[in-house]
Order: sequence, then C-alpha cells, then structure tokens
Amino acid sequence: MKRMKIIGADLQQSSLRSNLLIVWSEIVKNLKFLLAYPVVFIFWAIFPIFWFIPFILQGLALVGGDTPWQSESFALIAGTPEFIPFVVLGAILNSFVLTSLYGMGESIRREAYRGTLDYILSSPCNKAFILIGKALSESISSTIFAISQLAICVLFFGIQLTLGIIIPVIFIIILLILGLYGMALILAAVSLKYKQAHDLAHTAEYVFGIFAPVRYPLASLPLWGQIIGKLLPLTYALIAVRSIMLLKNSLTALYLEILILLVIDAAVIFLGFYLFNWMEERTKKSGTISHF
Amino acid sequence: MTKRFTQKKRRGIFGFLRREREEKRQESESSDLVVALDHIDVKVHSGELFGLLGPNGAGKTTLVKCLSTILIPDEGTAIINGFDIRSQTSMVRASLGMVVGGERTLYWKLTARDNLMYFASLYKMPRKLARRRIEELLEVMQLSDRADERLEDYSTGMRQKIAIARALLHDPPILLLDEPTLGLDPTFSRQIRNQIRELAEKYEKTILLATHYMEEADQLCDRVAIINNGKIVAVDTPDKLKTMVKETELVEIVCYSPPPDIETHLKMQCPDVKIITLVHEDEAKGTPSKIKLIGGNAEEHISTVIDMLRHRNIRISSLNIGVPTLEDVFIKLTGTGLTEGERAG
Amino acid sequence: MEKPNKKRSRTGEVKCPTGFTWANMKAESRAIWESNIKAWKLDLAYPISFVRQCLSPLIFLLPFLIYGLAVIGGRYSEHLEELVGTGDMVTFIFTGYIIMGFIGTAVWAMGFSIRREQWFGTLESLYVTPTSRLSLVLGMALHSTMHQSLGTAIEFAAIYLMFGITLQMQGVLPALVIFALMMLALYGFGILISALSLLLKEGWIISEGLHSIIMILSPVTYPLIVLPNIAQQLSKALPTAPALIGMRTFLIENYTPEVISNVFLHLLALDAAWILFGIFIFYLTDRYIRKRGTLGKY
Repeated sequence: MKRMKIIGADLQQSSLRSNLLIVWSEIVKNLKFLLAYPVVFIFWAIFPIFWFIPFILQGLALVGGDTPWQSESFALIAGTPEFIPFVVLGAILNSFVLTSLYGMGESIRREAYRGTLDYILSSPCNKAFILIGKALSESISSTIFAISQLAICVLFFGIQLTLGIIIPVIFIIILLILGLYGMALILAAVSLKYKQAHDLAHTAEYVFGIFAPVRYPLASLPLWGQIIGKLLPLTYALIAVRSIMLLKNSLTALYLEILILLVIDAAVIFLGFYLFNWMEERTKKSGTISHF
Repeated sequence: MTKRFTQKKRRGIFGFLRREREEKRQESESSDLVVALDHIDVKVHSGELFGLLGPNGAGKTTLVKCLSTILIPDEGTAIINGFDIRSQTSMVRASLGMVVGGERTLYWKLTARDNLMYFASLYKMPRKLARRRIEELLEVMQLSDRADERLEDYSTGMRQKIAIARALLHDPPILLLDEPTLGLDPTFSRQIRNQIRELAEKYEKTILLATHYMEEADQLCDRVAIINNGKIVAVDTPDKLKTMVKETELVEIVCYSPPPDIETHLKMQCPDVKIITLVHEDEAKGTPSKIKLIGGNAEEHISTVIDMLRHRNIRISSLNIGVPTLEDVFIKLTGTGLTEGERAG
Repeated sequence: MEKPNKKRSRTGEVKCPTGFTWANMKAESRAIWESNIKAWKLDLAYPISFVRQCLSPLIFLLPFLIYGLAVIGGRYSEHLEELVGTGDMVTFIFTGYIIMGFIGTAVWAMGFSIRREQWFGTLESLYVTPTSRLSLVLGMALHSTMHQSLGTAIEFAAIYLMFGITLQMQGVLPALVIFALMMLALYGFGILISALSLLLKEGWIISEGLHSIIMILSPVTYPLIVLPNIAQQLSKALPTAPALIGMRTFLIENYTPEVISNVFLHLLALDAAWILFGIFIFYLTDRYIRKRGTLGKY
C-alpha cells in the first residue's frame, strides 16, 4: 500500500531547534493566557504581600519596647534580630513555590479541562519539552511577580538591595526553581492518574509552609520537623538568600547549602521525569488521560 | 416577547465596567446588539405537544430560558399555566419541568437516586412522596437496578433519562424540552422520543419541544413553529406546513458524482426555481448525492436538469417529485437549511 | 413572594407550596438541609480534599504559633500583657484563629457556592426549581459551618495536646452566643460575595482579597490597638473584630476589652446591616444576570 506523504515529514526528526520551538510556543501561549487577564496579573504582582502583614503585626505586638522590630530571642536562633525582613524574604521565595506547585501541577489538569490534552499528547513532539515550556512560563511569571513584590518590600519594609547581592541571589533562586520543577513534575505525574491536582498542590504547600523556614528559623521546629525541612529545596534556598541579604555573607561561604541544593534538584528532576513518563503510559492504557 | 444580547465580549472586572458603559450607549444606538427573540407571539394549548423547529442560533434556547424564568425578556411576557413569568416566577417554576440537551446538568459524583432526592427537595416534595415518585420514575426509565451508581459511570443516554426523570419529579403540567436528544445515539434517541410521546398522549402533559431535528418535530408534534433569526416564520401542524411546499415545487434527483459547478449552471438554466442545492453524500459507501430543486416550477424543469446531467455523463439513480419534509418547508421559508451551511440559490 | 392568581385559567394543578405559608417555610428549610447534605456527599466523593480541608485550620495556625515562639523565645509576651492583660501568646492567637475558617465560610464557601454550580453545569437546573436561590447559598453556608466546626475541633484537640490552652469554661456559652451573632453577619457578607462572584467571572480575586483584608483588620494574631487608627475604625464595620474581642473577654482570664464596648449590640447592628445589604445586592444581581443571560456560562 502506498504510504501517504506526511506534511513536514522532514521535521518529524526531533532536533534541538524543533524542541526549542515547542518550549517557546508553550511559553508564549501560557503568557498570553496570563496577560488576557490583567486583573489577575496585577493581583499576583501585589497581593501576596497582604499574606505576611499579619506576621509582621504579630511580631510587633509580641516584642514591643523601644525597638519592636528587633528581637534578641529571635537573633539567637536566626542569626539576625530583624524578623521583618526575615519574614518578607521567606514570603517572596515561598511565592515561587506556590506558583510552581499550582501552576505546573494544575497545568495538565487545565489542559484536560479545556479539552486540549488529548491533542497535545497525540502530537508527535517530545512531551518533556512541553512540560519544560510550561515550567519556564510559570517561572517567568513567578519572577515578574517576585520582582514586583520585592520592589514594594524595599520601599516599605526596609529590605536593602545592592548590586553585589542581586547576582548571587538570582543564582540561588535559579537553583530553587530547578528543584521546584522536579517537585512540580512529580505532582503533574500523580495528577495524571489521580486527577486531584489541586489537593496534591495544597498538601505540598502545607509541607513547605510548616517545615521550610519560611516564617521562622528551622531551629524553631522539633528535631523531626527539622529533618523533614532539610529534605526541601526551599530550606537551603532560604538559608542562602537570608545569609546573603541579611547577614551579608558571600556565596562561597554557602558552598554546603548550594551543594545540597544541587543534589536535591538532580534527584527530584530525575524522579519527576521518570514518574511522568510512567504515569502517562499507565493512564493511556487505562484511557483516563483526558478525564478531569 | 423580545430579547436582545450584546455582541461584544469584555473580560474581567474592568471589562464588566466597560461593558456596562458600552451597553448603555448601545441600547440607544441599537448597534452591536443581537436580537435573539424578535416579537415572538405564540400560543400553546393545554395538552399539546408543540414543536419549536429551527437551526442553531435561531432563538429556541433563548425562548425556553425566558419561559423557564432563567432569562428576563426585554419586552413582553408569557403566561405559563396562568402565571406571569415576570411577576409570578415561583409559581411558573413550580408549574414546569425542564430538560436541556447536553451532559452537564447533573452531579456526576452523586448517584442517580441522590441526584433525584436532592432535586425533589428543591421541588418542595415531602420526603415520603419523593421516595415513592423516584422509584416510579426509575422503573419507567428502566434504571432501577443502577439507581445507586454514580452518574459518572452512566452513558450519555442514561444521564439524559435521569434528567427527564428529574423534570417529572413533581409531576408538572408543563414540560420544556430543549434538544432532549442532542448527542444521543439512535437507540436512545428513539427511546426518549417514545417517552415524550407517552408523556403527551398518556399523561396529557403540555410540552414545548425545541429541536433542530426535523424528523423529531415531524413525528412527535401536534403543531410546529418554525423559528429563524429570532422570528417565528410559520406555525401549523406538520402536515399543513408541508403543504406550503407544493408537490410541483419539489424535485429531488439522486445521482452519482455530480460536478460542483452543476449547481451554478442549473441556477442559470432555471431562474424561477427558488432553491437549488447539491447535497453530497458518501458515494464510497454507496450513498449517492442529491440535487434538490425547491419552489417555483421545479417540476417543469425536470427535462432541463436531466439533459444537463446526461450531457455531462452523470449517472442518474432516481427522480422524486413532491413529498416535502419540514426541512424543505424551512428552506422555502427562510432560504437556509436546518443544518448550517445550506444556502438558497 | 406572590400569591397564586386564581382568576386566570389553568392547565394543571401546581403541587409546590409557595408564598408566606408554613408549608413553604418548611420546604425551604428542607431545601437548605438537603443542599447541605448534597455538599457533604460531593465533599466525601473527594476524600483527599475532605481530609485536607479538615486539617487546614491547624496547618495554617501552626506557623503563627511557631513564629510567635521564635520571636519572643517562649510562650509569654510582656508587651502583649501590657496591651490586653494576658501574655499567653498561644491562647491569645488560638482564640483568634478559631474564626479564620469561618471567614472562609463567608468569602469562599458561600461566595463560590453559585460559581461552583456553574462549574458543575447544574446552576440552571437549580434556578428552574421553585426553591429560593438564597436557600441554595444558605445550604452551602450550613455545610461550610459544619465542616469548619469539624476542622476547628481537630485544631483545638491538636493545639491542646501540643501546647496546652487555658480557657475559662464559664465563658464558653456567652462566647458561643457572640460567635453565633458573628456568623449571622458573615452569612450576610457571604450572600453579598456570592452575588459578586456571579457578576465578575474572576470573583475569586475578590474572595481572596477580602479574606486577606478581613484577617488584617481583625485582631486574630495581634490586638486591634497595634493597627493604625484608621484601620481600627474600619474594623468596627466587620463582625470579626467585635466578636473576637467579646469572645476573648469571656474565654481568657484577665483579658482587657479593647476598643469596642458593647459587643452584643454592636454585633446585632452589624447582623442587620450585612444581612439586609447582602440580600439586596443578591436579588439585584440575580435580576441583572437573568437579563444578561450569563447564568449558565462558567
């Protein structure tokens, strides 16, 4: 039987160029969706600040005295008496966690809800690059929101930002995002099968919220809590960023934290890709892939 | 009754405010407004199975929503079971049951029984009566043995049966059915149509059936209103409507592989024929195409058409004269088909 | 509600009770209860989500407590005692955080009840029934209140075991009365949010925003006096601020009532205001949505 000519057959061979095109297309599509809702965009750029204001006010109420924004007790475990910048930095980095968890973890479910998942998965491209595109678009939007929030915090909450700080901080954030990609991939994989992506993302958010030093130093937790915290990439990112911005340490002094972060990143990314491919095969066989 | 919608879409919170400002302007300028219902005036008699036949976008669903009080008309009103849809909405809702085509009108994560019990409470039925009624309806729908399964495990047709059961829970005198067989396979569609017929004949319900399926309206309805672009273009029994297309006005030629330009040539040769349409079928499966001539003196042009086809070596399978369908009536009255894409010559 | 018009000709007898009759009130109450039951059944169809929501009050409270312990190096705060008469940070924050989940009842559960039905595709089917639309929202309110109560009970048990809490038992009953008055006003607020969420497709932004603003303006984790004066005045328009002050007065020993004096009268006034305003906006919005024809569109 004569084989029909496939349009674009010469492009069916996967190449770096075609894969990058997939990533770019996914980024552009997702960012267009985001910009189609300007109110949503503005909301995420500003509103997360409201979530840590109660912590600041609580701290001021508890400490009191002539310098209510500084606590000697806090300095003993955190290394700095200034709990307000401590909380603010934790909240800004935590926002990367939130957008990665909810963005990536739900991205697959959103495609299923829109009815486009079947078409995406039946396309001849490498699905990993679609996921990379989704992850990158989430990171881009997270970064834009974080910059906006940071700018407000510099104005109102006494965060000091100098040029010498920015580059090492960006480096740490990139390492954090890599680790979050891996975790988000794991969530996306599980959501293929179990469909309750939102609950999984919430659960992951709770784990980060309690066991990572977002609002308090890791030493505040009991030993078992600190052990769990030490498995999370956010913990090391927070320790490193605070060390640079609040304690004025250099990047080289944080080599151990960076090394551990790299190891965690590699582990979760590998696990995420493996799990996603495995789950995709399983759900294709069961026929539940486009259910939501 | 008249109902208009604005065409422009505005999103978001700011979009809502912009939309409001624009609509105030548009109402006075009458631009960018879609008239979904245009001075509809129709009467449905008690115990009648009344059809509303029209293509997608004709205004059927809008009319059904207005009658069920989901939409408020811009002008005019309607009386349902003696109650005004504008001022007596509770009594209107208590007087009717509604079935809408499409899948998502029930809770898929609940069982059929749970769905019906819940809606029975919203129809203010006492619990004992609700339980008894639900058992009766499940029996009628032949779903008693699956009543305690979640709807997500049901087929589309089974869900639609539960939707019909829901509409009948409180035994309303009036039923509004909006495309009840939409998306169903022929077997389920036949079952649903039989049930509709039984509801009208045996239980003497007054039924308004909105559909774009010509056969459905033809087979079931006592009277049919043809609706297009928000206007009622004709109301009568199906038989009387079909007489609007005279036998001499309808010729159907069944043939194989007619060229696409045959339509253009025939229109030039037969200028007094209102509609000439070429309906391509799947000839690979043995279903030939049809050339339809409607209106004017179609019968007189038979020889012209046959000569043209023979000249082009097109094999003619058969020739039919007369026997109009409601779709032919629709085409004659409106110039378009019941399915989108058919246009008048 | 209208009375049946007996003068016009009818085609069939209407069997549903309507109007201001005892039968109709019973039927509407039953519809509220059944809406609550339906919501429970749908919740339990997603067991992970259900368990998570039961634990979420505790999960969100813990960071405040751990943070507080870190900031002052222990449970006792001298400055807090100067402000409100008690230095027990854990009990202070716990008694404040009890209401957080119930704020969620208003802004999320009630606020999104109708949007949620739109998402299911069932909203038009519900609106075609003779039951009042408010009953549907109140059914969701009842469900959320019960659900939050379960979460709060778990939260209380966990915090009591982890930290120990000292409450005045004789103050529990009046505290519950104050809580009930607060809930009435929150229900009115929730009715308002449910109307707005139908109007504005990104209504979740309003819910999220209001939830955060209410938390800031309410003395949940800090005394009201810590807020700037203008914020303190604004907080008086919310039921949460007087409710928290009133509840703490009865539950915590030595607690010094803050700015708001007669809590009961204040809450009753807020109840009337929010309920009437909420219902007014709800019916206005309902009419508007039905004119626009966007009811079925998620």
